[in-house]
Amino acid sequence: MNNGYRERLDNILRAVQKPGRYCGGEYGQVLKNKDEVKARFAFCFPDTYEIGMSNLGIRILYGALNRENDIWCERAYAPWTDMEEMMIKYDVPLTAQESGDPLSVFDIIGFTLQYEMCYTNVLNMIKLSGLPLRSCDRSDEMPIIIGGGPCSYNPEPIADFFDCFSIGEGEDALIEFTKLYIEMKENGTYNRRDFLHRAAREVGGIYVPSFYDVTYNDDGTVKAYTPIFDDIPKRITKRIMKDMDKAYFPDKVVMPYIETVQDRIMLEVYRGCIRGCRFCQAGIIYRPVREKSPEVLCKQAKCLYENTGYDEISLSSLSISDYTEIEKLTTSLLEWTDKKKVSLSLPSLRVDSFTKELMDKIATVRSSSLTFAPEAGTQRLRDVINKNVFEDDLMRAVNVAFDAGKTQVKLYFMNGLPTETSEDLEGIAKLATRVVDEYYHNPNHKKGKSPQVTISVACFVPKPFTAFQWEPQDTVDMLNEKLDYLGSCVTDRKVRYTHHEPHTSHIEAVLARGDRRLGRALELACEEGFHFDAWDEHFNYEKWLSVIDAAGLDPAFYANRRREYDEVLPWDIIDCGVTKEFLIREHKNALAEKTTPSCREKCSGCGANKLGGERSCCPQK
Amino acid sequence: MLPAKMISDANPQPIRIKFRKVGMLRYISHLDLQRTFAKVLVRSGIPAWYTQGFNPHAKMVFALPLSVGTQSECEYLDIRLREHMTVGEIKYRLNQVLTDELSVIDVYEPQEKFQDIGFARYEIEIFSPNADEELAEKTKELFTMKPIMMTKHTKSGEKEIDISPLIASLEVGYNKEKNVLAISALLSATPENYLSPEMLITKMKDSFGILSDIMSEHYTVFRTEVYMGDGKTVFR
Repeated sequence: MNNGYRERLDNILRAVQKPGRYCGGEYGQVLKNKDEVKARFAFCFPDTYEIGMSNLGIRILYGALNRENDIWCERAYAPWTDMEEMMIKYDVPLTAQESGDPLSVFDIIGFTLQYEMCYTNVLNMIKLSGLPLRSCDRSDEMPIIIGGGPCSYNPEPIADFFDCFSIGEGEDALIEFTKLYIEMKENGTYNRRDFLHRAAREVGGIYVPSFYDVTYNDDGTVKAYTPIFDDIPKRITKRIMKDMDKAYFPDKVVMPYIETVQDRIMLEVYRGCIRGCRFCQAGIIYRPVREKSPEVLCKQAKCLYENTGYDEISLSSLSISDYTEIEKLTTSLLEWTDKKKVSLSLPSLRVDSFTKELMDKIATVRSSSLTFAPEAGTQRLRDVINKNVFEDDLMRAVNVAFDAGKTQVKLYFMNGLPTETSEDLEGIAKLATRVVDEYYHNPNHKKGKSPQVTISVACFVPKPFTAFQWEPQDTVDMLNEKLDYLGSCVTDRKVRYTHHEPHTSHIEAVLARGDRRLGRALELACEEGFHFDAWDEHFNYEKWLSVIDAAGLDPAFYANRRREYDEVLPWDIIDCGVTKEFLIREHKNALAEKTTPSCREKCSGCGANKLGGERSCCPQK
Repeated sequence: MLPAKMISDANPQPIRIKFRKVGMLRYISHLDLQRTFAKVLVRSGIPAWYTQGFNPHAKMVFALPLSVGTQSECEYLDIRLREHMTVGEIKYRLNQVLTDELSVIDVYEPQEKFQDIGFARYEIEIFSPNADEELAEKTKELFTMKPIMMTKHTKSGEKEIDISPLIASLEVGYNKEKNVLAISALLSATPENYLSPEMLITKMKDSFGILSDIMSEHYTVFRTEVYMGDGKTVFR
């Protein structure tokens, strides 16, 4: 049997590290007869298999699309560099995991865009599929390429490479989109442009960048977005699932053989977040809060346990302890999980909700380390970012941990936050030292063991749809200076200090708030073979500066410039539900060091309730 | 088998599962296979016996770990039952939650001990433009001479060993139509003296300079049967 690339692919696998990434054959994968389906959808995750398999969004959408008899959804991941080298050397295209067919034969290719630094992998995967990068260079016979996920809330830097984006939650939108494709293919009216036009008009939440002309002012800022058709939306409003109890949730998982990052059941408890931290994009774009009921969650968890055999359930949501029925949920889960030797884990814990009762229920207790995210070193700065967490909360939380015999605490912070001063940086070191002191003052601390407090500092990246979207990012030099200063403040030997690389954060800031002109820089990056830029060992700052420069652009214009409230922002074309007025209010509150209560305490009128939603805490409109 | 009502946590019933691991799943490592079976047992709903320690897990013992790249029609896994279930039901349930490339061939009460395994048979096929009658002859000679010295990488470092006593029998044929060198080898598989078929491949690479280009040449290795110490009685 000599069928060309497939045999070559097979031969390559002998020579790469971790062939288990590419060999497929997982239990739980969906196989269909390609001659019996009407549309083939390749769902791509632009990073490694181990990371992609851990993504909850793909698990959901893979199941949702495959529930449709006439659609076959398969998966594809970015090949690691050794595999890529082999694929190029032996002329093997990028293929889908299930059928092993090249992506170029698919009807629709979907990319989930989880972080900006994966953009070069997206382009590389298009290139490895043998397709032209720019959508305008792709013919009617080639697959439609659609993007989604958090980065599609400002898709402009990659707009030229995509035919369209699905804004918001994709469970319904992608199916409607694919059904429209099938309809037009069947009645013979399909061509790319007409299909995209109908999709933009009829399927909610579809943004077709080529249908919007962008003009710029002399100073380089955006002047206007003008739709080229009268019958498509002027702004694209995101889609949401209104009732999470009724929304599709997969009852099985494609089971990886090799170990993945999230090799466990991920139970999505609710969407959105009541908190409104002012640096956090997820806290805004996933609004409004919509909860599932504990009864539905228990049923889903049990079913997933039986169908996967996983021995860990992670309760996954932005701030899990804010779930109104967390007590009831954990109690009813523990009724059977304990007996079945299944453990619960909670990935995101706020210090103000971390109690002994909660800790006793979760698995993280087995490890000796606990992680909290105070984000800033002083109360003043925590008020600026609206973290609404107090030093006393943190001390109470770490004491709960020390009481239980923990010795290691990890604390996440950001540097370069708006209004930050040297006092705030000193505050980080002081806070860590105070945690060390608390350990020794705690009468129940583990005798004969010294504590270790790790402070991990990330550089602040201003993101679209946050109160800080107008803020300049500190320059790389400023960030480095601050990180060094913080390093000099850490004198306690029980405190370990690690930080992110400002260079990566700088490029991330350029892409996060970039406009369409950055497409040229990304195209050049792809030509030069950029990939895996989210991985430190592959990120090359100088090369990034050179492609941005070659595109005739200035990174500081995007990253380090203060924007005015009346400036047209590249992402104004997207309506995430939350109004600009609210974000302006929040920005002013931040500068005035005034906090805003959580959605549950008091509605602050962000506007997201116009989208509707069951079991939310919003006033109904 | 123990009488159904006698099987309990305190008195578990040993059960042997014979399974195949073929196709693309040859790329899955033994460690990953172990992790997979832990979940497979849960999915199947078989009343597997759990260790009673601090971190309870289903008791599983595998016979001969298979190296990555080798396929097999004769892998063995021993588990224990804490409640009665028929072997037919166990096989059915396991195959419901497995795939064709990793599936159960037989389930029964163990007849022999893993440590009494003596030999394993491997079918090796080498696809190479260099394959011909002459290479078949030379291969036969290579593996019948004594001693056959090879470097073995062990935990305590490198060691020169003579593998010739570990080759119980070896036939080589050349298939002109498929341009394939076919080797059938019975190799020692005792815990103290396990000879990996990959060692034969390495020896051939070193001696003949074949299999250096991954595209024009490749090979497959299949473990087809496991025997007792006499090299004749099939392990059960």
